[in-house]
Amino acid sequence: MGFNAKDALNEFWSSRVSKLGVFFMVTLFAISFYVLVSYPSNFGTSYWNRPQHWADYPKAVPPTWTQMLTSDKKAQHQILVTDEVYVRDKGIRALEYSIRFNYKADEYPKFTSFSLSELTFYDDPPFVYLTLERPDGTVIEDLLFHSIPYPSPGDEPPFVKYVESPLRIYLPGSSEVNSALSRFVRSEYELGLTPLDIGNSGQEQYIFGTPDSEGNFDQPLTGSYTMKIRVETFHEDDTVGSVKFVVGGTVFGYMGTDTLGRDLAVGLLFGFPVALFIGFITSTLTTIVGSVLGIWGGYVGGRTDDVIQRVSDILNNLPQLPILIFLVFILGQNIWNIILVLVFFGWPGLTILVRSMVLQAKEEQFIEASVAIGASRSWIMARHIFPQVAPFIFTQMIFYTPSAILAEAALSFLGLGDPSLPTWGQILERGFQTGAIYLGYWWWIIPPGLLIVITALCFVFIAQGLEPVVNPRLRRRR
Amino acid sequence: MVLKIEELHLHYVTMRGMLKAVDGISLEIGSGEALGLVGESGCGKTSMSLGITRLLPSNVSEYKGSIELEGRELMKLSKEEFRSDINWKKISMVFQGAMNSLNPVIRVGIQVAEPLVVHEKMRKQEAKERVLEIFERVGLPPETFDRYAHELSGGMKQRVVIAMALLLNPPLIILDEPTSALDVSIQAQVMNLLKQLKKERNMAMIFITHDIALSSDISDKMAVMYGGRIVEFGTSEQVINDPRHPYTQKLLASTPLLRSYNEPEFIPGAPPDLVSPPTGCNYHPRCHMVMDVCSRKDPPTAYPEEGQRVECWLYGEENE
Amino acid sequence: MRLGRNLLVRGFTLLMVVVVTLLLMNVVLGATGFSDRMLNALINDQVRIYRQGLVQTIQDPTELQRIVNNYKDVLIEAYGLDKPWPMRLPQMIWRVMTFDLGKAKNAQTFKGSTEIYDLIAERLPKSILLITTSVGISALLGLTIGTKIATMPGSKIDRFFSNYSAFSYALPTWWTGILFILIFAQYLRILPPGGMYSAPPPTEAIPRFLDLLFHAILPISTLVLALSGSWIYLTRTMVLNTAQQDFVNVARAKGLPENLVMRRYIIRVAAPPIITNIILGLAGSLSGAILTETVFGWPGMGLLYWNAIVTVDEGLIIALTFVYTLIYVIARMILEVLYVFLDPRVEY
Repeated sequence: MGFNAKDALNEFWSSRVSKLGVFFMVTLFAISFYVLVSYPSNFGTSYWNRPQHWADYPKAVPPTWTQMLTSDKKAQHQILVTDEVYVRDKGIRALEYSIRFNYKADEYPKFTSFSLSELTFYDDPPFVYLTLERPDGTVIEDLLFHSIPYPSPGDEPPFVKYVESPLRIYLPGSSEVNSALSRFVRSEYELGLTPLDIGNSGQEQYIFGTPDSEGNFDQPLTGSYTMKIRVETFHEDDTVGSVKFVVGGTVFGYMGTDTLGRDLAVGLLFGFPVALFIGFITSTLTTIVGSVLGIWGGYVGGRTDDVIQRVSDILNNLPQLPILIFLVFILGQNIWNIILVLVFFGWPGLTILVRSMVLQAKEEQFIEASVAIGASRSWIMARHIFPQVAPFIFTQMIFYTPSAILAEAALSFLGLGDPSLPTWGQILERGFQTGAIYLGYWWWIIPPGLLIVITALCFVFIAQGLEPVVNPRLRRRR
Repeated sequence: MVLKIEELHLHYVTMRGMLKAVDGISLEIGSGEALGLVGESGCGKTSMSLGITRLLPSNVSEYKGSIELEGRELMKLSKEEFRSDINWKKISMVFQGAMNSLNPVIRVGIQVAEPLVVHEKMRKQEAKERVLEIFERVGLPPETFDRYAHELSGGMKQRVVIAMALLLNPPLIILDEPTSALDVSIQAQVMNLLKQLKKERNMAMIFITHDIALSSDISDKMAVMYGGRIVEFGTSEQVINDPRHPYTQKLLASTPLLRSYNEPEFIPGAPPDLVSPPTGCNYHPRCHMVMDVCSRKDPPTAYPEEGQRVECWLYGEENE
Repeated sequence: MRLGRNLLVRGFTLLMVVVVTLLLMNVVLGATGFSDRMLNALINDQVRIYRQGLVQTIQDPTELQRIVNNYKDVLIEAYGLDKPWPMRLPQMIWRVMTFDLGKAKNAQTFKGSTEIYDLIAERLPKSILLITTSVGISALLGLTIGTKIATMPGSKIDRFFSNYSAFSYALPTWWTGILFILIFAQYLRILPPGGMYSAPPPTEAIPRFLDLLFHAILPISTLVLALSGSWIYLTRTMVLNTAQQDFVNVARAKGLPENLVMRRYIIRVAAPPIITNIILGLAGSLSGAILTETVFGWPGMGLLYWNAIVTVDEGLIIALTFVYTLIYVIARMILEVLYVFLDPRVEY
C-alpha cells in the first residue's frame, strides 16, 4: 500500500470539495450537539405530536423574515400572559386583569384567542368578561362573555379546573363574539352588519379596524391596545392562576409554521441529530456485517464462502423499496425496525465487493508466507487482509451514510416513519398530505428537502475527497 | 533507404513540466534491414515508435523533425492522409504487451482482417482467406480466426498480433518488446519466425527491446538510446564487439554470459528524469569514465568508424 | 453448453429470490400474528354476509346460530386458521404464485372490479409507460453526453457533469417532484400539478395524446433528472477507461477511421457495464416510481401501493410486494441473458 497518515491527510485536504464537506459536517455536528443538549428526549411524543402544545401558534404561516420581501408590514404573533390580578371587592367580587399590547401592521391578525388556567372556585362557577380598549379610544365592551360550566353532580368544593389543559376560547369560532362585534359596529359606526356577516368576513377586521368612508375595514388601527379581563366570582376564595390573550400573527418564527401551528424551526432542528444518528448507525452496522462476511467468506473459501455468496446474491437481487415498505408496515413503524431493515439490505452489496478484493489480496506472496510461518486464519484476516481492504471499506461507509438518510426520508415520506422521532422526511410527509404544495406553503416544503440534500451532499463531498487517498491512481500530487 | 529520420523531437506537457521524451533522434534503415533500438525503460523508445507512427497522446507540446519514408516526407502529411496512406500500409506496429492489443469483444480473425477491409476495400470472404494464409505462415491453426482474445495463450496472441502487422505487407514494421512477456522457449520460436519473415518479405524492422543480447540476434544495425537521445549507432557487430559509449559497454557487461565466470555488472543510479535532465551529457552522473567537461557541455557527435556514430566527449574535441 | 448451464444457474438464483421473498413475507406475517388477524377479519366478514343472507329464511335464532357456526367452522378449516401459521405456508405460497391474489379493500378499477389481479392489470401499464420513457430518455442522455464529455476530460463541461452527478445522487427524487410542482404548477401555472389526464379527459386521439404528454412532462422530468446524473458519469468513466486501453491505440495504428475506432473499440467494449447499469436502473426505477407516482398522482402501480399503505390494506400490500419482486426478477433475468450476448468475456 504505502501511504502514511500525513500524506493521506494532505491529499484529502487538497481538494475544494473535501473542505466543503468537512465544513458542512462540522456544522451538522455542532447543531446536533446543541439540539441534544437543549431538547428533551421525549420531544417527539410529548411536544411535537401533541396538538395542545401548539394551540396558541398561528397555523401555516410563513417565517417572519419574509417580511423583508414585501412592503406590507406583517402582523407579529403575540402571546400575552399575565397573572397580576386586581381583586375588586366592592359589590360583585371580581378578579381583574389588564393586558396591554401594541399592534403595528398593515394587515389583520390571523386569529385571536383567550385562555385561562388553574381555576379554583367554591360556589357558583364564575363568569368571564373580555373588554378591549383600542388606541383610538373606542372600547368594545363585553367582546367575549363566557360562563364557566357547572361542576358535575357529586363533586365537592373546592372545584379545581383547567390545571392540565387550560380553558381556551378561539374567538373566530365563537358566535357570541360575532354578536358582540355586530353590536359594537352598529353603536360605534352605525353600520348594520349581522353577526353572520361579521363571522364570514373575518372577526379580526372589526376587532382591530375602523371603517373608511365606504364602510370598508381595510387598515388596522395601530397603537396601544388594552385587553381587560374580568372574572366575576361568587366566593371570596375563588382564584385564577393566569390568563392569556393571543394575537395570531401572519408570520412566525425562523421557519414558519405548519397546519398544526408547529414551529417548523424547532422541528427541523430536531431532525439534525436524528438524521446523523440514523445515517451513522445504519452505515456502521452495514459496514461491519458486510465487511466481516466479505473478508471471512473471501479468505476462508469453501462451503462458508458458497453459503455467504448465495445469500448475499439473493438478498442483493431483492427490490429494495417494496420489501422495505412491507417489512416496516408489518413489523411496525419504529426507528430500530427501520435501521435493521436498511442494514438487512445493505450488507450484501458490500460483502460482494469486499470478497472480490479479498480474493485478490489472498494471492499475494506475503499471505503465503504468513501461512507458512503458521499464523492462524483469524490472525491473517485481521492483520494482513483487513488493512488492505480497510481504506475501501471506510470510503464505502461514508457513502452508505447519505443513502441511509435518504432511504429513511423516503420511508417517512410514504408515511412509514417512526412517529415518536420526527425527521425531515416526516415533516415533508405532513406537508404533502395536507396539500401544502397546492396551497403554496413553500416554507414547509423547501427547507426540509434542502436540509436532506445538504446533509447527503456533505458526505458525498467527503467521499469524493477520500477517493484519491484510497485509489492512488487518482492522486493529484505525486 | 526505407526510413530516414532526422532530428526528431517529441515533447510532452506533464504536471511537473515539459518532458523531452525524444530529444533529437536521427537514424536510417535500408530495405530489408532490422534496426535494434535498445535502452532501459523510460529512455524514450516507445515514444519514438509513437512519434514515427504519429500516435501522439493529447498532451504533446513539441513534435518536429524530418521523417522520410521511401522518400516521402511524413511530417508534411495531414492527419487524414497519414491515416489512409501510411498507417498500416507503410508502417505497421506490434505493440508492447500483446496481452492488451486485441479488442476483447470482437473475434480475433475479424480484427486481423480489418485493415484489408478498411484500407483495401476487400470483400469479407477474400479478406478471410488472406488472414488464414497469414495465420498458417505464422503457425496458427485456422480455428484461431473465430476465437476471442481471452481464449488464446500468450504465445498465440503474440503471433496473432504479428500476423496482423504483416497483413498489408508494409515495407516497415515496428516491434516494441514483442517477446518480453513470453516464456523463453516461445520467445525463441517467435524470434525465429521474425527472422524468417524478414528474409522472405524483405521487410525493414525496428526492433525495440531492453535486452541487448536479444537485439543482436536479429538486428543488422543497432541504436542505443539513453535519455531521449541515441548515444551509439552502428552495425550489430560494431556495437556488440566494439562498443564505444560507456553506457553501451555497461549494458553489455550486465548481460550474464553462459560460459563466463564474470559476475554481471550493474549500472549504478537511475535513468534520468526527462523533465529536468542533467546538465551536459545525460549519462554523466552514472558514467564510469566521466570527465569534467561532461557535466558542462552537451557531447558532440563522433564517427569513430565507417557507419558508426557515438555521442560522447571521449571521442570528441575537448574545445569547441 | 456451459453458457446454457450458467444461465440456468442464474435463473435459479433469481427464482430463489422470488421464493425467498414469499417465504420472508409469509414468515413475517405469521410470526407477528398478522396473518391470523387478517384471516379472522376475512372470515368474520364472510360469516356476517352469510348470516345476513340466512336471516331472511331462518326465523329460529338458535337454529340460525348453529348454521352460521357451522359455516364458520368450514371457513376456518378452509383457510387453515385452525392450524398454526407455519402449516399454512405452502398453501399461501401456492395461492400467490398462481396469482390468486384476492381483493382490495378500498381500490377499484375503472370498471369497478376490486380484484387485485384486475387492479394490477389496469395500473401496471401506466407505470411501465412512465418508467420506460424516463429510462429511455435518461439512457440516451447518458450515452450521448457521457461519450461526448469523455473526449474532453477535465474541461469545464466535464466538471459540471461530475458535480451534477454527485448532486443528483443526494437529491431525493420525490422532493424534486414536489419542487417541480411548486414551481411549475403553483407559481408559474404552466403545467398541471398531477394526474395522468385532465378531468374529463379529451376523447379524440390527438388531443388525448397531447393531454397525456402535458401531464407526463413533470413526472418524466423528475425521473430523468434523478437517473441521468449517474448514467452520464458512469458512461464517461467507462468510456474514458476504455479509451486508454492499448487496443484502442492499436486500432488507430491500423489506420482505422476515428468513428470506427469509437464505435467498435471504445463504445462496444465499454458497453456491457453501462448497459448492465441501465437495466439495473430500469429494474430499480420500478420501486422508485412508487414515490414519483405518489407525488404526481400518476395512476400506476406505485400510487396503488401508496393507497394500500394509507388505507392499511394488508392484502394489497402483500400482493403488490410480490408482483414487484416478480417484475424486478424478470427484468434482471433479461439483463443476464442480454449480457451474455454483449460480452464474450463473460464466464462464470
